[in-house]
Amino acid sequence: MKLEDFREKQIAGAASDEELHEALEREFQVIGRRLRRTDGLAKSSGRAIFTDDISLPGMLHAKILRSPHPHARILGIDVSKALELDGVHAIVTGSDVPETYGILPWARDEYALCIDKVRYVGDGVAAVAAVDEESANEALDLIEVEYEVLPYFLDAEEALAHPEMPIHEPKKPDANGNISKHVRLEFGEVDKLLEDSEVIAEAEYYFEGTTHTAIEPHCAIGWFDTSGKLTVWSTTQVPHYLHRELARVLDLDVAKVRVIQPPIGGAFGGKSEPFDLEFCVAKLAMITGRPVKILYTREEVFYAHRGRHPMLMRYRTGADKNGRIQAVDASTILDGGGYESFGLVTTYYSGQLITAPYTMESYRFDSTRVYTNKPCSGPKRGHGSVQPRFAIEVQLDRLAEALDIDPIELRRRNLLGSDTRTVNEFLVRSNGFLECLGAVEHASDWKDKYRQLPYGRGVGVAGSCYISGTNYPIYPNEMPQSAVQLQVDRSGRVAVFCGASEIGQGSDSMLAYIVSEELGVPLDYVRILAADTDFTPVDLGAYSSRITLMCGNACIDAAGKIKKLVKQAVADGWDCKPKQVALAGGWAFDVKDTGRKMPISEAFNLAEAKFGTLGATGSYNTPKDIHGDYRGGTIGSSPAYSFTAHVAEVEVDRDTGFVDVRKIWIGHDCGRALNPVLVEGQMEGSAYMGFAEAVMEQHIFKETGLHNAPSLLDYKIPTSLDTPELESLIVESVDPEGPYGAKEAGEGPLHPSIPAIANAIYDAVGVRIDRLPFTPPRVWMALQLRADREKAGALAPWKRESGRTPLPAAGD
Amino acid sequence: MLRLHPYVYHRPRRLDEALELLKEHSGDVLPIAGGTDLVPNMKHGLFAPGHLVALKGIDELHGIEERDGELAIGAAESLTAVASHPLVNDHFPALAHAASLVAHPMIRNQGTLGGNICLDTRCTYYNQTHFWRRALGYCLKKDGDVCHVVAGGTKCVAAHSADTPPILMALDAAVDIASADGERSIKLSDFFTADGMWNKRLERHELVTRVRIPLPSPKLHATYTKVRERKSVDFPLLSIALAVELDDSGVMDSISLIVAALGAKPRVIGGLDKIAVGKKPTDDIVEAVARQTYRQCNPLDNIIVEIEWRRAMVPVYVRRSFNAILAEPRATA
Amino acid sequence: MASLDRPGELLIEAIRLTVNGDTHDLGVPSHYTLLEALRYVLGLTGPKQGCDKGDCGACTVLLDGVPTLSCILPVQEAIGKEVTTIEGLAAPDAPHALQDAFDLTGGAQCGFCTSGILMSAAALLAANRSPTRLEIREALAGNLCRCTGYTKIYEAIELAAAALREERMPAELKGS
Ligand SMILES: Cc1cc2nc3c(=O)[nH]c(=O)nc-3n(C[C@H](O)[C@H](O)[C@H](O)COP(=O)(O)OP(=O)(O)OC[C@H]3O[C@@H](n4cnc5c(N)ncnc54)[C@H](O)[C@@H]3O)c2cc1C
Ligand code: SF4
Ligand code: FES
Ligand code: FES
Repeated sequence: MKLEDFREKQIAGAASDEELHEALEREFQVIGRRLRRTDGLAKSSGRAIFTDDISLPGMLHAKILRSPHPHARILGIDVSKALELDGVHAIVTGSDVPETYGILPWARDEYALCIDKVRYVGDGVAAVAAVDEESANEALDLIEVEYEVLPYFLDAEEALAHPEMPIHEPKKPDANGNISKHVRLEFGEVDKLLEDSEVIAEAEYYFEGTTHTAIEPHCAIGWFDTSGKLTVWSTTQVPHYLHRELARVLDLDVAKVRVIQPPIGGAFGGKSEPFDLEFCVAKLAMITGRPVKILYTREEVFYAHRGRHPMLMRYRTGADKNGRIQAVDASTILDGGGYESFGLVTTYYSGQLITAPYTMESYRFDSTRVYTNKPCSGPKRGHGSVQPRFAIEVQLDRLAEALDIDPIELRRRNLLGSDTRTVNEFLVRSNGFLECLGAVEHASDWKDKYRQLPYGRGVGVAGSCYISGTNYPIYPNEMPQSAVQLQVDRSGRVAVFCGASEIGQGSDSMLAYIVSEELGVPLDYVRILAADTDFTPVDLGAYSSRITLMCGNACIDAAGKIKKLVKQAVADGWDCKPKQVALAGGWAFDVKDTGRKMPISEAFNLAEAKFGTLGATGSYNTPKDIHGDYRGGTIGSSPAYSFTAHVAEVEVDRDTGFVDVRKIWIGHDCGRALNPVLVEGQMEGSAYMGFAEAVMEQHIFKETGLHNAPSLLDYKIPTSLDTPELESLIVESVDPEGPYGAKEAGEGPLHPSIPAIANAIYDAVGVRIDRLPFTPPRVWMALQLRADREKAGALAPWKRESGRTPLPAAGD
Repeated sequence: MLRLHPYVYHRPRRLDEALELLKEHSGDVLPIAGGTDLVPNMKHGLFAPGHLVALKGIDELHGIEERDGELAIGAAESLTAVASHPLVNDHFPALAHAASLVAHPMIRNQGTLGGNICLDTRCTYYNQTHFWRRALGYCLKKDGDVCHVVAGGTKCVAAHSADTPPILMALDAAVDIASADGERSIKLSDFFTADGMWNKRLERHELVTRVRIPLPSPKLHATYTKVRERKSVDFPLLSIALAVELDDSGVMDSISLIVAALGAKPRVIGGLDKIAVGKKPTDDIVEAVARQTYRQCNPLDNIIVEIEWRRAMVPVYVRRSFNAILAEPRATA
Repeated sequence: MASLDRPGELLIEAIRLTVNGDTHDLGVPSHYTLLEALRYVLGLTGPKQGCDKGDCGACTVLLDGVPTLSCILPVQEAIGKEVTTIEGLAAPDAPHALQDAFDLTGGAQCGFCTSGILMSAAALLAANRSPTRLEIREALAGNLCRCTGYTKIYEAIELAAAALREERMPAELKGS
């Protein structure tokens, strides 16, 4: 197309005068509107290229041999027969990659392939690269490994009790080698305030482990070219950390390692640290000089795991007679599985992240993460805090009942509020929790339902709070946490380079909305190149709900620099002040006379002529030193906190124990919804995932240490017919730190699902199920026990005679 | 991905060709219909025949038609067809319902009635990958000599897990069977055995060609109930088929109750004639039937959901089955 | 194919496949599933693999219009039939109403389940232009999605159904 024709076309597609008038009235042009994603059509037309869709010329396929024992010493590995097999190009074992790796720099305890010990069924011991998967599989069968089988632990308490059989070498002499981390923190006088409390709820909760179950299995491709450069394509949500670890472990110049993250088929925290396959494809590629791919089978995904820690949580919560929380005393054992992963952080999170959205006079937690001979636990959506959230919110329900206060009212009485600090000294700025509570209360007709629905049906409420990124990166450094680089073309097209990981949450789209908002270019004039470490400035990755806040701010920073130049150039041409120039809807226009305008590309050209090629970088770093001054005070300290409330409505089948979750109302304070469609998508996806963990998911093992059911048939995730109706109610508190006030929506909205359902089950049938998941056998058993007690006269029938039941004593 | 082993895939057009192939490659061949059971099992290394004989392209194995007082359904008809065919829905809504409860829509499109009847038994220690089974130690049913469900057991007790056979049994269906040596037919209630290794009276070179169900009298009421964790995809944890004939006054002339997904053979509950026949299905009678059924059902750890609960669900679902029948407009008329 | 030179084991079959309207004469290892043939032989990577054994629906394609799991379908079963993958859903000049609607409502997050879900949805809409919410849920009951909680997927299918009924693209129904 000739440039003039193109201009004509651009003008035809740009906003009309009326729209520009309207634009001037609005706070934002793009932000807050229900827009398409940048990658939506590519995905819905099957054209998005995921890692396993990539095939390189001469590519080899590799497979990893895995341990059949939960705990064993490796005495010898003989690969000679396998090497002789036709089609096999190379085999590596642990000693070929003798450097440890791990996501936390001070706790690296994994090898690409095990060297002296295997610690769970599925731990990798050797990898074969061959011309095809069939040959690689065949070769695995020919590798001979001699093991000395060791005693193993599948239960955290048991492992804790047996330091004489350590899964890892103790970190210090005399330390228990089965303890990965212990944290104890106390804020205020817990024991005294508990004693003074009017009522105390006390119970033991057990959260069964669950796993991410992204539909896309992990996959990686390594390629070592003749110039000595390593490229790894991987289904990772932390390309930057992977980049560093690959270079370190393989002893390569960091500058000669490139990590590319193609679109990812779901992650949820399950792809947020390096895995064996990435090191194996890299090493095998270096040896063979050929591209090498590994695609996990679904079974291997279950072994890679890093899902939610099973947690045993003993909780005591005291309140005064008005329902004000006086003290929370939590004692938690985390089942970490075979390795460290994010363990240290998880251990802190299991205590640190429940101190909002409520005020509490005092708080103590004592958390111990224990190694067991199972696949390693790690971060799953709502890292470390979904489990204790279950405990605390059920405790509040008990207190409300004991004090005969409506549970929503009880939560209101303990409101933390905004611009304040939590008991563990986190700085909370915006806080829309009250509005969240109100929204779900109203939408669910709570007042007409709570304790009013007939026997078998019930409603439950729960609240929560979550971080929008962490103030401190995983490896200590002063550099920005996120950065964006913009490049402007004469056509009006803007390219965004950013290290952020699009994992389905919409981070690419978020960048495009911001550029479109700031520079006035239509959305389809924005191109995103993300997560390619050779070309994109560092962003730390998609974890802890950090991308919108951090990357968004970085993007505003970069776009602001260009905007300034463009406005200046246009203003000079029009002989007016730059602030009289606005960029929106494909135009640069005069705010005083919207008739005076030029296509945005022309404005860009003016600026380019005046200032040289248009480009800018922007970055964001978190506020430091706003956390409490105690060891661990940095962990959980976030630039902004999101808030959520759920009401769940359930129907419990009294005879069978089936819990039918009918509907979940989700009120979520995301700060500002940059695109409500995407925010709702995160809210619904989160509530769905919490619901699934509440009623069906369990990552469990047979006594032999074998995974109970490493398949998508036997590990139950909900189908369309199981999933409840989900209603999203967005609350916007507009946070001072977030881009346009935005916080997060990817993880926070999951937290209340489980306790809201637990509390609803109680409202429906009067039983507290303190162990997850609420499977029919478990609920049925609890109903039997209650029926026995009713028969014995120890309990009044639940909700059957009157609308209300007599209240049992607290802690009952 | 889970790769299959190399095999020769035969696609005969005629039944006799198929039967010849089965005979010719005897010991190294399996018939494949929809493949929805066989292919996953082969991917797990449970079967590795050198030859597969595809049945879907054989015309003689298709067709749903009424003839000689029976409804005949070709073995290669898909479960979707069975679930939606007007003749099945008219005469045997409970069968259509059972077929609609199998797995999920795609599997019902691909899977066949014959394959469902011949479905391999299932067990949590068996339907696993080769890596997993080897790590655990092989079991009787495949390559090993112990049973992980019954300590010291010498017999495989893997669960019959198919959805249509129980209701077909309750409806008194028979299957036609053919081999290169001839044809025979057998009542479905005599077809299954309690041997989890191979729970059918079917020679390896034989094929089920057709299912025949006597057309029901207006007195017949039948229902199929399936207990499963999710509302789709899942195999039964327990399933109950119930058929009763009710005379004009609501008295039961006959009763047939089958409970499946316990062991290798769907269990025909015995002694019910004495309890129920000649009586109305009052609460007391239903309760007596429920108790009798409970006594005869002992779930095993072949399925991973708690035994105690699965057993306790037996009487619950017997009652529900009666409720379903009595709620039908025809039953109360 | 290294295994090619292992005599007696591997068999390459000449197979004629019609995929998205194109007829291909291919040499395919006889033990391939349709998914393997599509992804590895034809390079059609739209159909995804999530479990490889019938549990998730990511590999769903249409076989003569019928939603079918390609990961457990022996490739030979596709001979003589029309295979439609996600790549063949749209006319060359515009997205299919479903694709457009998924884009509008945010029905695809990570997008990995999406191609399978769209095939199930396309078959549903071909048979039923006004499906109820329950009919939609039933049609999708073999396609697991881990991201969306399904809600936005239902909305997309309803939007596409409305568009198809009125022979309009969803974009016209609801501005973009
Ligand atoms: C995810 C998933 C969920 C499932 N859920 C269920 C469920 O809920 N309920 C249920 O009942 N099933 C379920 N199945 C199993 C299976 O899909 C169905 O039972 C289906 O009906 C099997 O039919 P098919 O034609 O695919 O059998 P195939 O796999 O083709 O064959 C099954 C077996 O029968 C033999 N066979 C097939 N046809 C004949 C014949 N005519 N004569 C002799 N032998 C024959 C085969 O050699 C093979 O051994 C599920 C499968 C999967 C993958
Ligand atoms: S019942 Fe016993 S022998 Fe049969 S499959 Fe299960 S473990 Fe093996
Ligand atoms: S990949 Fe085919 S059903 Fe999962
Ligand atoms: S969009 Fe990710 S699995 Fe459905």
